[in-house]
This record gives sequence, C-alpha cells and structure tokens, in this order.
Amino acid sequence: MDFMYRDVVVPGDLISEDPEKAGEGTYVKDDKVYSFLYGLVSTYKDKVRVIPLAGKYIPAPGDAVIGVVEDIVFSNWIINVNSPYDGLLHISEYPKKIDLSEMTKHLRIGSTVMAKVKDVDPTMKVEITLNDRMLGILKKGRVVEISPTKVPRLIGKGGSMINMLKTEIKCDMFVGQNGRIWVDGNEEDMDLALKTILIIEKEAHTTGLTDRISEFLKIEKEARS
Amino acid sequence: MSDDVISDIRKDYLYHLVLKSERADGRSFEEYRKIQLEQEIIRKADGSALVKLGNTQVMVGVKIQPGEPYSDSPNKGVIITNAELVPLASPKFEPGPPNEVGIELARLVDRGVRESGALDLEALCITPGEKVWIIFIDIHILDDCGNLMDAASLGAIAALLTANVPAAQYGLGEDYPLPVRDIPLATTAVVLDDAIMFDPDTDEESVAETKLTVITTANGCICGMQKRGSGFLSSEQVYRIVDISCEMANEIREKFLEV
Amino acid sequence: MIFMDEDLSFLKNGFRLDGRRLDELRPIKIEVGVLSRADGSCYIEMGDNKVIAAVYGPREVHPRHLQKVTRAIVRFRYNMASFSVEERKRPGPDRRSHEVSKVSREALESVIMTAYFPRSVVDIFVEVLQADAGTRTAGINAASVALADAGIPMTSLVSACAAGKAGGHIMLDLMKDEDNFGEADMPIAMTPNGEISLLQMDGNFTQEEFGKALELAKNGCRQIYDIQRKALSDKYRKISGEQSKEIAGGVEVYE
Repeated sequence: MDFMYRDVVVPGDLISEDPEKAGEGTYVKDDKVYSFLYGLVSTYKDKVRVIPLAGKYIPAPGDAVIGVVEDIVFSNWIINVNSPYDGLLHISEYPKKIDLSEMTKHLRIGSTVMAKVKDVDPTMKVEITLNDRMLGILKKGRVVEISPTKVPRLIGKGGSMINMLKTEIKCDMFVGQNGRIWVDGNEEDMDLALKTILIIEKEAHTTGLTDRISEFLKIEKEARS
Repeated sequence: MSDDVISDIRKDYLYHLVLKSERADGRSFEEYRKIQLEQEIIRKADGSALVKLGNTQVMVGVKIQPGEPYSDSPNKGVIITNAELVPLASPKFEPGPPNEVGIELARLVDRGVRESGALDLEALCITPGEKVWIIFIDIHILDDCGNLMDAASLGAIAALLTANVPAAQYGLGEDYPLPVRDIPLATTAVVLDDAIMFDPDTDEESVAETKLTVITTANGCICGMQKRGSGFLSSEQVYRIVDISCEMANEIREKFLEV
Repeated sequence: MIFMDEDLSFLKNGFRLDGRRLDELRPIKIEVGVLSRADGSCYIEMGDNKVIAAVYGPREVHPRHLQKVTRAIVRFRYNMASFSVEERKRPGPDRRSHEVSKVSREALESVIMTAYFPRSVVDIFVEVLQADAGTRTAGINAASVALADAGIPMTSLVSACAAGKAGGHIMLDLMKDEDNFGEADMPIAMTPNGEISLLQMDGNFTQEEFGKALELAKNGCRQIYDIQRKALSDKYRKISGEQSKEIAGGVEVYE
C-alpha cells in the first residue's frame, strides 16, 4: 500500500489544513481537516485518511460475509453478521426454491453461511443473498473472528497476503469483510491457519508484516517435516 | 462468536475437541486458567480483592459496620452478600436489580462463607440483642469471560482474609483484623458429552447444559454444593467432581491464600 | 467531625491538605482497553478515585421503540459500587446517580457522530470502585477514552475536572475533605477547543471567584486532555513496538 509514515491520531486531531484532501475517517470544520477516529493517518494518492484501530462492521453492498442464523421470522432468516445490524436473508435469495415451511429444514438457527450483502438501505436494512455459486452453507471447518478493521490487512494489496496464506497452508479459506474467516483442511493445517490469522490481526498495523508472516510460515512448515 | 446464538460449527468443534480430551484454549480438563489476585485494592473498603481468572475479572469489597442483629439470633453478627452483574461486564447483562443468576451467585458465595464457619458470628457480637458487626460482602463483576462463580468465591474469601474491623471510628476499641477461621472455595465443573471440565470459559458455559459447583473447606470438607443448569448428572460424575474439586481448591489455596 | 480553621487548614504555606498547590491536579493514571467483553474500556485513577468505563456499541437498541431512524442514541449509566464509599452504599441507582448519568451523557453526546449509525445505541457504563470527590469528572474522562478505544466516531475527546472553593481559596480538583467542608464545587467538561459540554455548580461564588474557578478548571481540562491523548497513543505504540508479546493497555502515571 502506498502509505506514508503512520501516525496515531485521536478524534479531534488536526490532520491537514487543506480541505480538498479530506478522506475517510476525517471531517472538515472551518476549512481544516480533523480526524474523527482513533487510528492511523495515512496519505493515499492525494487524500489524507484515518485508518481505524477499532470499530464495528457496518455492512455495505457487495461485501462477502460469514453469518450465523439467529432467527427465522416469516419469510426471512435473520442472520447475525457481527454488526449492530442484522442481515435479512429472504427466502427468494436462497439458491433453491423452497417452501416457507421448509425454511428451518434447510437453514436452521445456528447454521453458518458464506453470503453476500445484496443491498443496504438508508435505515440500515441489510439484505443478504446466497444466490451465487461461491456462496453457501458451511458445514465443517472452523470460523475465527478478528476485528473487522484488520480485514484489509489480512487480504493485503491485491490479495497478496491472503493468497500467500492459501498457497502456503493447505486450507480452503473464505474471508468475510465482517471479520469472520472460515478455514477448512486437516487439523494441523487449520491450527496453523488460525494461528497465522491471529498474528496478522495483532500486528496488522506494523510494517514489514508480509515478509515476517512468510518467514513464520516457512519456519512452521520446516518444524513439522 | 455471536453473543446470543453459538454457531453449529463452533459447537461441533468443541465437541470434537472433547473427544480428543482437548479444550479450545489448550487447557486440560482439570486445569484452571491463569489466576491473578490482588488484595487490599480498595483502601476505603475494610477488605477487598480483585480476581482475574483468565479474562474474567471480579472485584469484591468487604464493608464492616455496626448494626442491629436479626431478632432470631440476637448475639450473632450478620453477613450480607450481594452480587452486582453490572452491564459493563457483558453484553448480556442488563441494568437493574440482580436477576436469578446474580442472586444465585451471591447466595452460593454466602453459603460458602457461612457454612464453613469461616466467620465466628458470635465473636462479632458487640452488645447482645442490640448491636453486632454487619459484614457486607459486595461482589462487583467487571468482565464476564466465564466462571464468575469461582472468581467471586475466591475474591470473597481473599477480601475477608485481609479485612480489618474498623472499631476505632465507632468508639468500640482499636481496629483489628477480622478473624477468619477457614478458607471456603468454590470450584465449578461443566459436563460436556460425558467429559468433566473445570473452570469453563464463555463458550464452554454456553454449550454445556450442566454445571456442578462444589464449595470445600481448608480441611477437605464439603460445605456447599449446587447443580446449575438443566440436564442430568450421574452419581459417578458427582463423586468424581467432588474428588477433583477438593484437589483443585487446595491448589488454589496453597498458591494464593494463607490463613 | 473535623472543625476547620479557615485560613490555616485548607491552605498552609501555599500547600493544601494533601500537599498540592491551588492549581494542581491530583495524580492521574489511565489504562486503555482493560476489559475483554466491552468494545472499548478505560480504567482511571484521579487521586483516590478509581473508576472504570466501558463502551458497548454501536449495537442494537432494546427495547426497539427507543430506536431513532436516522441516528444512534447514546445512553450513559453511572453507578457506584457498594464498597466505593465510606459508609456502605445500597446497590442500585439513587437520585444522585440518575442526575450524574444524565449530565454525563449530555457532556459526551455532542461530540459523538451519531448520524453514522442509525437505529442503534452507544452504551456507556461507568462504575466507581473507589470514590474521593470528583467521580463524575473521572467517569467522563474515562468514558471519553473508552469511546475512542471502541472506535466510535467523535469530533473530539472530552476532558473534565472540577474547581471549587475551600477555606475561601479557589482551587482545582477538590478532594473529599475539601469538597465536604468547602464552600463551592464546580465540575466542568470541555473539548480541546474550549467548548464546554458540562457545567454544574453548587455552593457560593462571587462573580469574580467564578471567573477564577472557571479558568482553573479549563486549565485542568487541558492538562487532562494531554494525558488522555498520550494514553491512547501509547497503547498503540506498545502494540506496534512489541510484536510478539501480549497486548496490554498503555499505563502512565502523571504527577
């Protein structure tokens, strides 16, 4: 990522005197740019933005998410997506055509799904869909939860970090924008995958992380063989 | 995972681990999480303790004040135990007076202190029929990451062991250490698919239906028990839990508390 | 009962009962991120006050009818532990804690950017573990840091402290005896820009005394702001500087 040196800022810190540069995580007052988050300043292209160090996941259309069914109300499954806002999966967004009475048979409370956010309206009504070949029900494997603010680092620039993980560790992986990650493989590989993901979460905002993780994986794999 | 519903995948994983005699955080079935104890942490209280059991954090304060005895025990001191499950400690806690969980917690801690005879109630009498020492044990939950019961029980006895009777400010002589004659401790186990696991964390508590808390004294007697949750326990399981409880409680006593 | 001889006791040779000068704050210690379940948290000591604040949110509002369609609501609950005060306090809110909760919420509401989270609530909880006058300002200071720790968008932090009068002397950050036997107490909360979001006063001030007290308090708030800011920035530095060690909160002690 093209970041300049990262500084920690708190809400109210002055970031820039040029209102044109206001990016994410900032607000403009009296022609000056201030942070509204506790986070790291970064300059990207010609904007200054603040990357949050903490915060909840707020669903946005197009996001891949891992959800857990919490309830079934009329024709909707209520899906917990680790957000202040629940997702609604309408019966028509289920990949098969099923009856209202069959809903719990196919997806019951406690089921985990790989889904996509279809739409979010201004009142934060979140519509979820499973209508896609890449989506579906997760029956095995393990899910780990990290802070949603660290997901971009886990994915990496152009997918560099997550692809490295997928190549070096023999696990299927699905990263939800909502901070939930699913892995599946044999016991040892899943353990390693989860361990690595938690390290990335802890050190997400440090420099040189990709190289360190690469080293770490090399050492772990050597230790095993 | 989500605070309300635990996912099937997570449940399956925990059961899968149990079959291999493992737990999610790598502990053995009879292993407690790391315990940290700090006593005399609230100087204004007459006794106090902060217990960290893994990430669970419980603070207990003891206040000792003169008051009226109960009419049916005119020459005995009074013990009043209360637990506040304040909303800051968990997304599940709501503001308001203690609910059944909080009440049960307080009553169990109380049972341990009372039935073990740790406090000599007659020695707490000032003027029979008129004035006795009232011992308030106030449990304040700060962070619920599982097994509040054992943390609260440890906090209560730890606070009592370092408590002082503030006689001077009431013109009743000099301040003196509260006499404590025993060290009751609660140990809790959950049963998951026939496996007995001590010191359950949040996930283990939500997956396991049945819990048994055993309160033991310093010489290995049992002074309180409570089965919590639905489900059944076999006699074998009960005996086994009682056995291990005595051991676990002794380990904790030796490591953290002196009488 | 302590009988104070005005000039001699509250101030002796320029030093107060606890050895401070008139414009000195009590020592402050701030730890960020001390709780696991809460989304953000902060433990603060201001003199003998020990207060912990936690933030949950934004999260779903229960009961649903409290929801606002266009923004988050903010709730603040100030509570004192039974063992926090000299005479054991019956658990549960009393009229004073309701009032403190209300003014504390109002002190912070204006800086929270609630429009980002319609139909949700930001819950702030403050528990006083030990009290020695100034718990409401300690609570607001801790809550401010806990809000940032939780990632809640705010226009700025809020800092709070009290000034008052004891023995006729205008002083900053009254401790318990000064508050109990003094003549006036005035807690305020302020943003770093000097915008006042909490202002309460009880007792007796001339207008001139009020002016002096306000300036003292504003100064106190500025010092506290620096401490809050440093605690937050230290927490991050600790994480980034010690990559393979356990994450801990930032701890600093200031005199």
